[in-house]
Amino acid sequence: MKKIVRKQQSAVHHWGRIGALRIHSFSVVSLFLLGFSCPLAWAQQLAISATTLHTVSSSGRIQDGVVLIENGKITQIGSAADITVPDGYERLTSDTITPGFIDAHSVVGLAGWYNVLADQDQDETTAPNHAELRAIDGFNPSEPLLAYLLQHGVTVIQAGPGRSNPIGGQAGIFKTHGSTVEAMTIRFPSAMIFTLGEVPKRTYGERKQTPMTRMGTAALIRQALLGAQSYAKQWQDYVSSADEASAQEASANDTSEDKDHKAPDRDLKKEALAAVVRGELPALFTVHREDDILTALRIAKEFNLTLLLDATTEGYLVVPEIQQAGVPVIVHPSMQRISSLETSNTSLENAAILADAGIRIALQSGFESYVPKTRIVLFEAAIAMVNGLGFERALRAITLDAAQILGIDARVGSLEAGKDADLVLFDGDPFEYTSHIQTVILNGQVVYQRPLASP
Amino acid sequence: MKDFLARCLIFAILFIPWGVTEIAASEEPQMPVLEEKQVAALVLKGATLYTVTDGIVPNGILVVQDGKIVTVGPSSEVTVPDDAVVRDVSGKVILPGLVDTHSHLGVYPHPRVPANADGNETTGPVQSVVRALDAIYPSDPGIRMAQAGGITTANIMPGSGNAVGGQTAYVKLRGRTIEDMLIHKDGIQGGMKMANGENPKRAYASRKQTPATRMAVAALQRQLFIRAQNHQKKWDAYAEKKEEGEKAKPPDPDIALDPVIEILQGKRTVHFHTHRADDIMTAIRLAEEFQFPLVLQHVSEGYKVADEIARRNIPCSVIVLDAPGGKPEAIEMTLRNAAVLEKAGVKVAFHTDDPITDSRFFLRMAALAIRAGMSEAAALRALTIHAAEMLDLQDRIGSLEVGKDADLVVLSGPPFSVYSHVLETYIEGEKVFDRSRPSDIRYATGGFAVADRYPARQKTQ
Repeated sequence: MKKIVRKQQSAVHHWGRIGALRIHSFSVVSLFLLGFSCPLAWAQQLAISATTLHTVSSSGRIQDGVVLIENGKITQIGSAADITVPDGYERLTSDTITPGFIDAHSVVGLAGWYNVLADQDQDETTAPNHAELRAIDGFNPSEPLLAYLLQHGVTVIQAGPGRSNPIGGQAGIFKTHGSTVEAMTIRFPSAMIFTLGEVPKRTYGERKQTPMTRMGTAALIRQALLGAQSYAKQWQDYVSSADEASAQEASANDTSEDKDHKAPDRDLKKEALAAVVRGELPALFTVHREDDILTALRIAKEFNLTLLLDATTEGYLVVPEIQQAGVPVIVHPSMQRISSLETSNTSLENAAILADAGIRIALQSGFESYVPKTRIVLFEAAIAMVNGLGFERALRAITLDAAQILGIDARVGSLEAGKDADLVLFDGDPFEYTSHIQTVILNGQVVYQRPLASP
Repeated sequence: MKDFLARCLIFAILFIPWGVTEIAASEEPQMPVLEEKQVAALVLKGATLYTVTDGIVPNGILVVQDGKIVTVGPSSEVTVPDDAVVRDVSGKVILPGLVDTHSHLGVYPHPRVPANADGNETTGPVQSVVRALDAIYPSDPGIRMAQAGGITTANIMPGSGNAVGGQTAYVKLRGRTIEDMLIHKDGIQGGMKMANGENPKRAYASRKQTPATRMAVAALQRQLFIRAQNHQKKWDAYAEKKEEGEKAKPPDPDIALDPVIEILQGKRTVHFHTHRADDIMTAIRLAEEFQFPLVLQHVSEGYKVADEIARRNIPCSVIVLDAPGGKPEAIEMTLRNAAVLEKAGVKVAFHTDDPITDSRFFLRMAALAIRAGMSEAAALRALTIHAAEMLDLQDRIGSLEVGKDADLVVLSGPPFSVYSHVLETYIEGEKVFDRSRPSDIRYATGGFAVADRYPARQKTQ
């Protein structure tokens, strides 16, 4: 009973939030509103049947399948013939169902759709090392672009600081629906954001500050990681000496005042990077050019980092090196705008070439500096699909493979019993341009329904 | 031998009992002319032809001669001699070449470095004097990428950084020089770019110069038309004097005002970059004050004033983007804009605004509009004949009709499916893109600049 009350409250809260957006009739967001004016399922228990269920699990593609959902989780999934829907379940039907989509690297939530200083909180371009910055301190749950992503089936994003700094700060993984960042967080921090190539050196080079070359960027990052290593060691020494002392205390039962194991001063930058050099926090390197990709591999090897390659536009030119390093790649949007030298060689086949080599890939919406202000991984995956990736791998790249790369596959990424009930209901082939998303379900709640009104 | 076959074929075509029979009957003596030119005919047989103006022809045949379409119709009704060289394109789809009403190809060429950026002369807000044709780089790889996207004709424009951006160029996407590319029609080779809303304010407001407000943008545009009217009066006075036999000196030529006079005379179209509904109405207000031919470009909030636009029969070239935002005037963009305008009875075209969207994804843009409620037929017209009409080139391009330029796109499947690829693109009968050619495929996929370092793949489609 308690739970039901809470759900109703969250519904009310959501209405209020949308009302506060101050939008005109007929806008994108009012379409979203229209969606909400349809009866929404706030049921605790849902049974959804579909002609085609893409489970993205060992169950593969189930024809005439059913998913049972209770308290936000999938409880059962299988063929309609094998599942008896218990009494009291609200029922939905659909042509095609996929897991909710995962955008493995975005800035939405930190970057708003107005693209004015007031709503841009992704780039703290005041110093090249901002490892201490936390995405959760700038993530706006009410950002309309989050609602827009949700309408296009994106239920999870990894969002973090932008690309202007060599060391940008800490990203988090969030659901795209919720009233507070705490309620939306799946994991924080999820990765430290590093950027090589044109953008950081342009940001600082124009001011005649370091870094103004690729050498400068690499040196700056190495210097910071070196500092983090010695910081980590200081703390490790302190902790082990403290442990030793307390062990001695315990054995000697000595309660004397000799507790002089002074903790080193905390340093937020070094503290955050210490987790990176200890290999606990993945280092996400956004890179485009082949030599930048290799620089990321070189630094990762030197400091034994848990590396996630990101964007990796010229990845198709250094396949053996990426393969050998055994790192996954969060591939740039297929249709990323070719607006710089380092993106000149963008290939629609990059994802397919990397995947052909056995490299695990996800897709990202990346960063957009102008119109449109974000990209949609569903659309990007469709283009990768028809350029060699194929249906199954394209779908995995924005569901299970993304979840595995981000380390959240225990919760999301496939339709399996025990996982979060994040589902997208389509009226046809999910990747076909002219198919529609009918319903989006996040944590077992219907959070979007396609408006019935025609133009 | 080839020539002989071609001649046989041409002979056969002249007697086919379909569409061109009248021409054939009256123009039999044409044979020697054709021999002289020795131009081989191109015969594409078996495809589904989307004629745009005369329905869809399954299993059709299309014959091209001398850069023009000479036959289009069902295969069963067109006789081709047994020894003719006929290309079997069964199962494929043929569309008229796509027409992009708003592009920056060649003025923002690849690679995208500042040295290559020639779109915005932001040294003064009124630039009717500048011409896109003086900055178009015919070797821009972007042009080949556009061919890979099925685009054959484009309106290449200066940017929106100025209230009056400059003279646009209507071009075919082929050739080594701008002269090869330009489409000449009655001495006019393009339109005039104007812009309102945020962009023309951007460069000058930050310098504390005019225009810093929407009011000033409109005032500058109105002032230009008044100046052109005054200049026209001098010409009128000169003409009058000459007519009366008086001695008269012609006014000094004014290359900034002459193209504006062409606008006032209805010979040059204003392509007006505009997003917000009030900005759209401002553009319309100016067009009504000065009675100039207007095409609204972008029209992001057109859905809010669709009836106002429809009532005045103003054509709209819209852009469809994957997501809204990026600037305040673009936050209320919706995928449904084109559908709403279509329902209101507005003539709709699309544009890439390349590099804002990539020309390779032009068909996809129409598909997104269909996803949001536009009819397939209207989306197809928007990419072809409606766009041609907005450039006043509908007598030459925009449909598969006898006598029109043989600008064609061969697709592997239905026009608006994600699974379809552009296989071939023709401009005036000449194949400019062929996905099966190693030299062309990289303009479709990207990676053309890495040349033979591009990894070999089993399949290219």
